[in-house]
Amino acid sequence: MCAGCKPDSHHSQKTSAEPAYDDSFIESSIGDASYLNPVLASDSASSSINGLVFNGLIKYGPQIQLTGDLAEKWEVSKDGLTLQFYLKKNVLWHDGQPFTAADVQYTFERLIDPEVKTPYSSNYEKVKKFEVLDPATIRITYSEPFVPALESWGMGILPKHIFQGARGKEFNQHPANKKPIGTGPYIFKEWKTDEKIILEANPRYFEGKPHIARYVFRIIPDDAVEFMELRNKSIDTMVLTPDQYQAYPEFFEGYKKYRFPRAAYTYIGFNLTHPLFKEKRIREALAYAINKKELVAGVLLGMGISATGPFLPLSWAFDPEVKDFEFNLNRAKKILKEEGWTDSNQDGILDKEGKKFEFTLMTNQGNKMRSLTAEIIQDQLKKVGIKINIRIIEWSTFIKNFIDRRDFEAIILGWTLSPDPDIYTIWHSSQIKEGQYNFVSYDNPRVDMLLEAGRKTFNQKEREKIYKEVHRLIHEDIPYIFLYYPEFLPVVQERFVGPAVVPLSSFGFGWNFDRWFVPKNLVRYPVMAQE
Amino acid sequence: MLRLYIKRLLKNKSGVFGLGLIVFLLLMALAAPLLVPQDPLQQNLKERLQAPSLLHWLGTDDLGRDLLSRLIYGSRVSLLVGFIAVTLSTLLGSFVGLCAGYLGKWVDSACMRAVDILLCFPTFFLILMVIAFLEPNIANVMIIIGLTSWTGLARLVRAETLSIKERDFVLAARALGLSTKRILFFHILPSVSAPIIVSATLGVGNAILIESSLSFLGLGVQPPMPSWGNILTSGKDYIHFAWWLSLFPGLALLFTVLAFNLLGEGLRDVLDPRDQS
Repeated sequence: MCAGCKPDSHHSQKTSAEPAYDDSFIESSIGDASYLNPVLASDSASSSINGLVFNGLIKYGPQIQLTGDLAEKWEVSKDGLTLQFYLKKNVLWHDGQPFTAADVQYTFERLIDPEVKTPYSSNYEKVKKFEVLDPATIRITYSEPFVPALESWGMGILPKHIFQGARGKEFNQHPANKKPIGTGPYIFKEWKTDEKIILEANPRYFEGKPHIARYVFRIIPDDAVEFMELRNKSIDTMVLTPDQYQAYPEFFEGYKKYRFPRAAYTYIGFNLTHPLFKEKRIREALAYAINKKELVAGVLLGMGISATGPFLPLSWAFDPEVKDFEFNLNRAKKILKEEGWTDSNQDGILDKEGKKFEFTLMTNQGNKMRSLTAEIIQDQLKKVGIKINIRIIEWSTFIKNFIDRRDFEAIILGWTLSPDPDIYTIWHSSQIKEGQYNFVSYDNPRVDMLLEAGRKTFNQKEREKIYKEVHRLIHEDIPYIFLYYPEFLPVVQERFVGPAVVPLSSFGFGWNFDRWFVPKNLVRYPVMAQE
Repeated sequence: MLRLYIKRLLKNKSGVFGLGLIVFLLLMALAAPLLVPQDPLQQNLKERLQAPSLLHWLGTDDLGRDLLSRLIYGSRVSLLVGFIAVTLSTLLGSFVGLCAGYLGKWVDSACMRAVDILLCFPTFFLILMVIAFLEPNIANVMIIIGLTSWTGLARLVRAETLSIKERDFVLAARALGLSTKRILFFHILPSVSAPIIVSATLGVGNAILIESSLSFLGLGVQPPMPSWGNILTSGKDYIHFAWWLSLFPGLALLFTVLAFNLLGEGLRDVLDPRDQS
């Protein structure tokens, strides 16, 4: 699986040159950030920025193992109920104030504040007691064993002194959410809405000043324009579509091109409260009518595999016994007929009690693979007499007006998975409220129970059994039709030394960005010259 | 009179070229099912992004659909939107202009202030705003373009009406006691028809461009129905390695808009009363 992890580069790296504390790194995103506050943000654009401005107590290392970030070290009690963090000393906020345990406590209090719009609160519900033992030591006691406890403290820590005790709605609308102060390797400098966000290297960063002096996050709401910008060398990196990956080789001279499995999947999600999709048999018919092999060949050009559930095939949580719904048009038609859907007026569209089988499939603008997927599925379902209307909507409008408000019938979207298979926030029935991740309103008491149990037990074998059953049940219930796992196809300008791929992780190659550098002789955008 | 106009139009080379092209496009759109080499909606993923060849004269798109067939069907959408939207805007603009010019007083003030307000908004952004609240589909696109493109014509018709209403034949009609409706639609309207025809012809090209722009932005005709605008949208994603997807719909748009503009210019020359000699 890792054959493609090495960069497919046209030139050898000039790693021997002396690193410069200079140059800019220009990245792009199809959508703007929403909150530069890790407690409130749930989108990938915001996470990219927050990951550079803020630190958690712990973070994932290159071997997908947890290491200390703001925490020097930690201890876990034998019963797994108590965590004790020893914080790094001499860490400073970007405004020069010292970082202390009070900041961690303030962040925790906001995470459990019912009026704070955070999708992460469920990770902290089991905390029974939060104690600040001294300015550099914290003890957290859980009411019951909670496996993702340690991972949950990767949450970016907020500066108490900046928020001045703001809570609830005041916290949700605090100006610091647009102008963040963190402890991270990069200092926030400027945010021009829908245009760009600029960060600058933090000279007092506790792990050493980053080599890349400036990070520019440009908003380019279209794949094609992004590709053109890459061609003009106006951006330094982008994630390619399979068609772009296969573009003429001369294009990629001077770039490092990667191809590796990614911890992500693309799916069709059904609004389970919608009358059309309440019946599992209907969703089952749709699952049989969709030809995933055709999607993998036509959309991914073979750079990916079809999906059967919410875990990756290489994950220990994945159940290989789960058999996918094999593409079978006759079976789909038969089920629909049994459910009373027939083409009574011979117009090619099924109907029942005078109502046509027609629904709107939404996806976000700027993602060519998703819009192609929608068109292929539209064509596939037409063959069983189902009419799909496609709506492609600008990203933030799509999330705020349709997903968050549950105002959709079916959607095509994707999830990026974290190393631990805990998927409570996506599938537990307590997460159905507006702004939370279970926007399809999936509710299966057995899955709820298993997800809760999966969070409580530290026994790996037991967890494996639990998540394999979760995989099977979700697959059987069909709240999503899991379409495919696309491969990750990033490209980065060759002058950058340091990009290292972590396959099957959610953090791609940017996990060590603060250690990247450009050799002095290859500096392209010297920061001083720009000012 | 009509024969004279036709004779003069036939002498106008660019006008004849435009007319010929429009007739060709109309025939192509009407006979689309007979002309298309393949089903424009038929996906064939094994043949995606094929360059022009003997099998696919203009190549295939990203879902393996024949581009020529899609362009031919796309002409239906473009022409339909062009004609319906312009019919709507012409009816509305002519009616408002006639009423404002002939009735004067508060009717004139009210109509012209409404026109002034609408002209304050850039038309395209006004259309974008309205469509944001509606479901994007071909019917809505036609109606919105029609309802937002009548202001220029209303002003033009009002100005013409103002001058015509003082002419002897209108005064005579009033003296005979004819109803306002009759004077407006049977006496004044025929006299202002020349600028209306020219404006409508030029408006079709404009409406086609607006539809294509909306479809290009994903707010017009929705997939899988082909429109030149949405074919262009899918083309831009492959502009580096599938040039045919951007070039041919672009050319189709260029020649169509050019045809309507040339015909409009030609009609303007033919119908110009200052050039009656």
